[in-house]
Amino acid sequence: MVNLIEIIDRSLEGPFTSENDFGLNIFVPKLREVIKKYEIKFDPENPLSCDDDLADRVFQAGIELFADVGIYCVDTERIIKFTEEEILESLAEAPSCPVFGEGSDAKALVARKPESDIAPWCFIGAGGAAVSNETLFESILEAYALFLPLADSITTPTIKHIEGRLVRTKSPLEIIACMRSSTLAREALRKGGRAGLPIMNSIASAGSDTAKIAGSQFGLRPSDGWLIGTMAEMKINFERLNEIAYVRNLGGHIVAESAPILGGYCGGPEGTAVANVAYHINSILLMKGSCQLTFPIHINHGCTSSSDVLWASSTSAQAISRNSHFPFFILNYVAAGPMTEMCLYEIAASVINAVVSGASIEFGGVTKAVEVDHFTPMEPRWASEIAHGVIGMTRSQGNEIVKKLLTKYEDNIPNAPKGKTYEQCWDMKTKQPIPEYKQLYQKIKTELAELGVRFKF
Amino acid sequence: MKKEEIFKNLFDAVVEINVQKGKDAATQLIKENYNPLEGIENGLSKGMKAIGEKFNKLEIYLPELMMAAKVFNSAMTILKPHISSDSKSTKKGTVVIGTVKGDIHQIGKDLVAMLLETGGFEVHNIGEDVSTSTFIEEAGRVDADIIALSSLLTTTMASQKDLIDILKEIGQREKYLVMIGGAPTSQKWADQIGADIYGKNAERAVSLALEFMSKKQKS
Repeated sequence: MVNLIEIIDRSLEGPFTSENDFGLNIFVPKLREVIKKYEIKFDPENPLSCDDDLADRVFQAGIELFADVGIYCVDTERIIKFTEEEILESLAEAPSCPVFGEGSDAKALVARKPESDIAPWCFIGAGGAAVSNETLFESILEAYALFLPLADSITTPTIKHIEGRLVRTKSPLEIIACMRSSTLAREALRKGGRAGLPIMNSIASAGSDTAKIAGSQFGLRPSDGWLIGTMAEMKINFERLNEIAYVRNLGGHIVAESAPILGGYCGGPEGTAVANVAYHINSILLMKGSCQLTFPIHINHGCTSSSDVLWASSTSAQAISRNSHFPFFILNYVAAGPMTEMCLYEIAASVINAVVSGASIEFGGVTKAVEVDHFTPMEPRWASEIAHGVIGMTRSQGNEIVKKLLTKYEDNIPNAPKGKTYEQCWDMKTKQPIPEYKQLYQKIKTELAELGVRFKF
Repeated sequence: MKKEEIFKNLFDAVVEINVQKGKDAATQLIKENYNPLEGIENGLSKGMKAIGEKFNKLEIYLPELMMAAKVFNSAMTILKPHISSDSKSTKKGTVVIGTVKGDIHQIGKDLVAMLLETGGFEVHNIGEDVSTSTFIEEAGRVDADIIALSSLLTTTMASQKDLIDILKEIGQREKYLVMIGGAPTSQKWADQIGADIYGKNAERAVSLALEFMSKKQKS
């Protein structure tokens, strides 16, 4: 496989073009060409696709797109290009079952197929949403360890304030926030009895490469997941390449992140699905990942639960899982907030869609991960219970459930309720959700069981 | 050709994303000695409004919106020299817009910049990862009415507050309207830091910018 030094060479010597030209005159026309060539068509009636042939065509289109377009390096204004031969070689040589975590919490992440009997990996927690201070950060991390029995790995929040001061990127406060994030997360997971549980979003508080690398010295392990992102669409910068260089030399696992934007340069659901496949290849070849984390997201709604995004996610997930053994996650962002029916419906639809299509899950972003303290352990617990409840489910059955769920919430996405904060939903003394939330949870669980979800407990 | 027909051609050029049609209609408008301001208002701007509505419903996507803006600007290049200096200016105001220091997110900010421009503002898009002093220097250089700051990260939001604080410190706070936006920002945050305008989304940012400029001009 092409090594990192060769990639850096290509970022310095590849074809020169402006960022605007790369987006509008290189990426967009080629994407539209492959959509047409491979006859990829959005089916609004069936958000969870059941079409194997379509999935395979999306995969081929993704390979052709990536081979033709490459990845743009914004620092050098050059395109890092790969040949089709290099792409196929990378797919053959990609990792298939990386092991994350330590001791009794260590586990192999296995690639799945559509309708698979293999349990999805549940990478759950805050999805990088902001928590207002260190005390709440530690409290919620401990609650994750105690309250999420199906968690295979944890996604931590971003600390917004350190000692009352707003954390600023590329400042000493960011470095301190990242150091404390690592220390506190590790200690909280130990207190909660899951000391070996991997943290798979590295340090959510880190905006810069410096802060991520410095913060990691205070508790991250090579067996954790080191989340490193790309920029929409098909772009990277030196900060992210710096992180890749560091983690590669540490022997750590890179979780290669992408977020194709539906409505942006990708266009509609068809282009978003194809771009997602291209990002999958990028995760292996350029990012040197141990797995891919992707979240196709809606440009106006900022969430992943609308029917067009669900179609793009399901179609690309099937394209990837049918044609690649490189494991991947779909990250879900929902519009509504904690302790609302809508939030639980959105999570259920998004998770069913991903798991039945062959993905593992990260959950996630509640209230689009933009409202401070608006997340609790209940939503990731719900996501993991749903994920395990649809193992082996057929796509057609999953599609019917998702369609029913969409009728319950999709029209409300633009004005979704924000719900309550962690402190309003969680009894800090008993370390349990308040009774009102438990009742709501049970009510929706009964509804989903009636729809066909087979809950483990 | 009747002026209404030319207005329609200008409108259609934007909606159909046809640069040549836009240029031809603009040339025709000048040739027939019609008022270019009327052509902008009744043709090009209406076309951009229609395109904006289509984008909100995702009947079209960002690339189409960008190309429609290109049609608008191509026609404007032809019309602008013919707007007489004594006629009422079409310019709604001048905006300096950028993504704050430490933040490299581009798409949302560019979308707002584009809609402000086609909404009648003179827009100076100064890019991403922009320092506070650069915002202030640029605003002074172009005599801006509005400074617009985008932030997509909770860890870069503080730069929006910095700009307002520094404007106060140097005695220039009253000189500019400050608009903020970006996923982690909110009306509450805008109130907390003393921003004048919170643009929840691109469309809202433009309508509020117009509203505030109208108030400013009346006062």
